[in-house]
Amino acid sequence: MGPYDSAISAGSSSGSSSSSSSKPHEIDGLLAGAGYKVRSSDLRQVAQRLERLETVMVNTPADVSQLASDAVHYNPSDIASWVDTLLSELNHPVPLPSDLPDFPDLVVSPLNQSMVSEAWTQQHQNISHHQLMAVTATEEDSGIRLVHTLVMCAESVQRGELALAGSLLENMQALLTRVNTGCGIGKVAGYFIDALSCRVFAPQGTASPYGSSYEIEVLYHHFYEACPYLKFAHFTANQAILEAFDGHDCVHVIDFNLMHGLQWPALIQALALRPGGPPMLRLTGIGPPSPDGRDSLREIGLRLAELARSVNVRFAFRGVAAARLEDVKPWMLQVSPKEAVAVNSIMQLHRLLGTNNNNTRNLPIEIVLGWIRNLNPKIMTVVEQEADHNQVGFLDRFTEALYYYSTMFDSLEACAVQPEKALAEMYIQREICNVVCCEGSARVERHEPLAKWRDRLTEAGFKPLHLGSNAFKQASMLLTLFQLRATVWRRRKDV
Amino acid sequence: MAGDNEVNLNESKRVVPLNTWVLISNFKLAYNLLRRADGTFDRALAEFLERTVAPNTFPVDGVFSVDHLDRSTGLLNRVYQPAPENEAQWGRMVDLEKPLSTTKIIPVIIFFHGGSFTHSSANSAIYDTFCRRLVNNCKAVVVSVNYRRSPEHKYPCAYDDGWAALKWVVTRTWLQSGKDSKVYVYLAGDSSGGNIAHHVAVRAAEAEVEVLGNILLHPMFGGQMRTESEKRLDGKYFVTIQDRDWYWRAYLPEGEDRDHPACNIFGPRGRSLEGIKFPKSLVVVAGYDLVQDWQLAYVEGLKESNHDVKLLYLQQATIGFYFLPNNEHFYCLMEEIKNFVNPNC
Repeated sequence: MGPYDSAISAGSSSGSSSSSSSKPHEIDGLLAGAGYKVRSSDLRQVAQRLERLETVMVNTPADVSQLASDAVHYNPSDIASWVDTLLSELNHPVPLPSDLPDFPDLVVSPLNQSMVSEAWTQQHQNISHHQLMAVTATEEDSGIRLVHTLVMCAESVQRGELALAGSLLENMQALLTRVNTGCGIGKVAGYFIDALSCRVFAPQGTASPYGSSYEIEVLYHHFYEACPYLKFAHFTANQAILEAFDGHDCVHVIDFNLMHGLQWPALIQALALRPGGPPMLRLTGIGPPSPDGRDSLREIGLRLAELARSVNVRFAFRGVAAARLEDVKPWMLQVSPKEAVAVNSIMQLHRLLGTNNNNTRNLPIEIVLGWIRNLNPKIMTVVEQEADHNQVGFLDRFTEALYYYSTMFDSLEACAVQPEKALAEMYIQREICNVVCCEGSARVERHEPLAKWRDRLTEAGFKPLHLGSNAFKQASMLLTLFQLRATVWRRRKDV
Repeated sequence: MAGDNEVNLNESKRVVPLNTWVLISNFKLAYNLLRRADGTFDRALAEFLERTVAPNTFPVDGVFSVDHLDRSTGLLNRVYQPAPENEAQWGRMVDLEKPLSTTKIIPVIIFFHGGSFTHSSANSAIYDTFCRRLVNNCKAVVVSVNYRRSPEHKYPCAYDDGWAALKWVVTRTWLQSGKDSKVYVYLAGDSSGGNIAHHVAVRAAEAEVEVLGNILLHPMFGGQMRTESEKRLDGKYFVTIQDRDWYWRAYLPEGEDRDHPACNIFGPRGRSLEGIKFPKSLVVVAGYDLVQDWQLAYVEGLKESNHDVKLLYLQQATIGFYFLPNNEHFYCLMEEIKNFVNPNC
C-alpha cells in the first residue's frame, strides 16, 4: 500500500503489518514526546475525527477562526476531546467509533528504543524538575566567585564546620564590596549572606525573623503590587471558582489567608455580572489574630461587604482568627450542606509540611486536607511556590533557594515602582531567611514542586481540573499590561 | 470542493505512519483556526494550544537543558548539552567558567525552530525533543533560539534575533572547545528556521564571524511566480499555497510581495552571494513538500555562486518527517547531519 510498508513490517513483531509493537492501551510514546496523549489503540479513531473536523471546517461558511476563538478549549494534549469540542462547537455531531478501514495499517515501530522519549506523564512526574535560569547579569569574576563561595559556605554549614563557614562569610562580605549590590547577583548574594550569617552567628532558638502580622500584610500587599505572580494566581483561581459556582445560588468561599482580601473584589464583581444574576456569597477569611486589639479580619470583611453592596451582591463575611492553619477546625467555618464551597489557599499549604509536633497520628497536612475533602467543596484552588525548598539536606535546599530567588529578583528588576519594589524585596527576603536560617517548627516556608503537590492532593481525594483557554486568554491579556520584554514561558497549571 | 478534499486526505494518509499523520494534521487544523482572514493571528489561543516543556538540568536520555537570558534582546536561548560523565554533577549549575573541552572540538549548533515565522517556540515539545536528539546524534551542543514571531514582529526581527543569538553564542567562553579555544558554530533550522539560518549566515559572512556550516531542513523560501511543484502538490500533503501566502504576508513588510529578497533568495531582487565567505550548506528537501522548487532553486543559486552545497533529496518525505523517529528519512537525516558537523570531515 504505502512506501513504508516494507520498512515498517521488517521492524514489527509479526509478518503482517497490522500487528502493534506496543500494548494497545498504552499511550503512543512518540506523540507523548510531542506533548500529546493519545492511546495507541485510539489512533485510528482520532485520525477519523481529525478528518471529519477538516471537512466540517472547509464546509463551514462562517469565519471558522472566530468560532474557534469563542469556543472554550480544554487540555489540548488530549487530541480526541479537543477535536470533539470543536466539532460540537461547529454544531456537528461527534462521530461514533466505526470500523471504517480508512487508514492503512501503517504501524509505528520504534526502530531505535533509546531515541523514543519516555511517556509524557512519566517524564513530568517522576523526574524532578530543576528549572534554572543561569544568572548572567554580571559575568564578572566577583559575581561568579560569590556564588561559588556561597555554595561552599552552605556545604560547610551542612557539615557542621561553623568556624569555616564563618570565615567564608567574612570573605564574602569583602567580595560584596567589589560587586554592584544594587541589582543582580550582588543583591541576591547579599541577602543569602545575611541569612547564612543569621544561621551561623545568631544563637539557636531565635524568634522567627518574621515580624508582626501587620508588617507581613503590608509587605505582602506590596509584593502583590510589584510583580504579576499573585495577580495571576488570584485571577486564575477566581476564574476556576467562577466556573465551579456556575448554576449555584448559595456559594461559600473559604480563604486560608485573607490578608487584605485583595483577591475578592474581582470575584465579587464577576459574580455580580453573572448571567442570571449573582448568587448569595459567603466569604470566610482565615488569618492570624491581631495582637493590638484591632480586628483586622473584620475590617477587611466590612470593606468587602461595602463593595458587594454597591454591586448588589448579597454578601456575608466571617473571620476566623487562628495563629496556625492546623489550629482551624472545620466546625469554625460553619459550612452549610446546601451551599457550593470553594476552598482557596494561596501559599499556605506548604506551612503544614513541618514535623508533627502534636504527636497526633497523622501529619498536619493530612489532617487539613482530610477535613477539606470532607467539606466536599466544588473546587479547591491551590497556589504554591514551585521550588524544592523542603529537601532534607541543607545544601540542596540552599542551592535550590539560591537559584529560585535569583530568578525572582531578576524578574523584579522589571518593576520600576517604588516603594512597592523595595518592600516586595523585603517580603522575598523574609522567605529566604526562613528557608535558610530556620529549622523545625520555625521553618514554615517548605515549598515543594508541583509533582509532589499533585500526588499529595490526588491521594487526599482531589482530581486536577484543566485550565480552559478562556482563562488563559485573559491571563495573556493581563500579561501585556506588564509590558514584559522577555518571552514568558507558559507553564501548565493544574488547579 | 469536498470531493477534492477527500482525495487530498487519502494521499497524505498513505505516505506517513499513523501517529505522524495525527500529529501533523492536528497542527494543520489548529493553525487553520489561528490564522484569520484579515491577516491577524490569535496568539492567545496559539499559546494555549502549544505543547511546551520546561528545561531540565537533570539529564533525560543523556541530555540536559538550561534557559539562558540574552540581555541584549531579552530573549531566551535554550541550551542543550550532553550530560556530564560524572553523575555527581547532574542537576548542578552550568559552569560558566570552563570551556566545553580543551582537547576535543565540540560543535555548537544554533537551531532556529520552524513554524513559518509565526508558530512554535524554543520550548515547544516537538522542538525540544528534536534538539535533544540532535545533541545525542552529533555529540554537539545545541542552542535553540526563541526569535520573535510574525505577524506581531515582521521582517527583519527574526533575522535580527538570529544574528544576536549568533553573537551571543560566539562570545560565550563556556561554549568554546578544542585546542584553539573557540566556538565551533553551525547554523541550522527547519522551515522558517532554515530561512533564518541562511540570512544570519549572510550577515555573519559580511561581518567576518565564522560559521562552519548551514543545515537547512526544508527551508521556507518562495517567490511571486507559482512553480510546478506548488501547483502539483497544493493541499495534498498538509500544506497549501494559500497558507504559505498568508505566512509570507504576515512576515514580509506591508505591501511587499514574495519576490522580496528575504523570501526569494536568488530571484529578481536577490543579492549576489559571490565572493563572500558563505559557509558550506546541507539542504534537505522533502519530495512531498510543495515548496521544493524554490528550495532546489536555492541550491542551484548557491552552486552558481561557487559555494559548497550538498542536496539531500528525500523523495517520499513530507514536511515534518523529522519530528518522529518512525521512518527511514529521519535516520538518513541524522546520519547526514552527524557527518556534516563532524570536525574530522
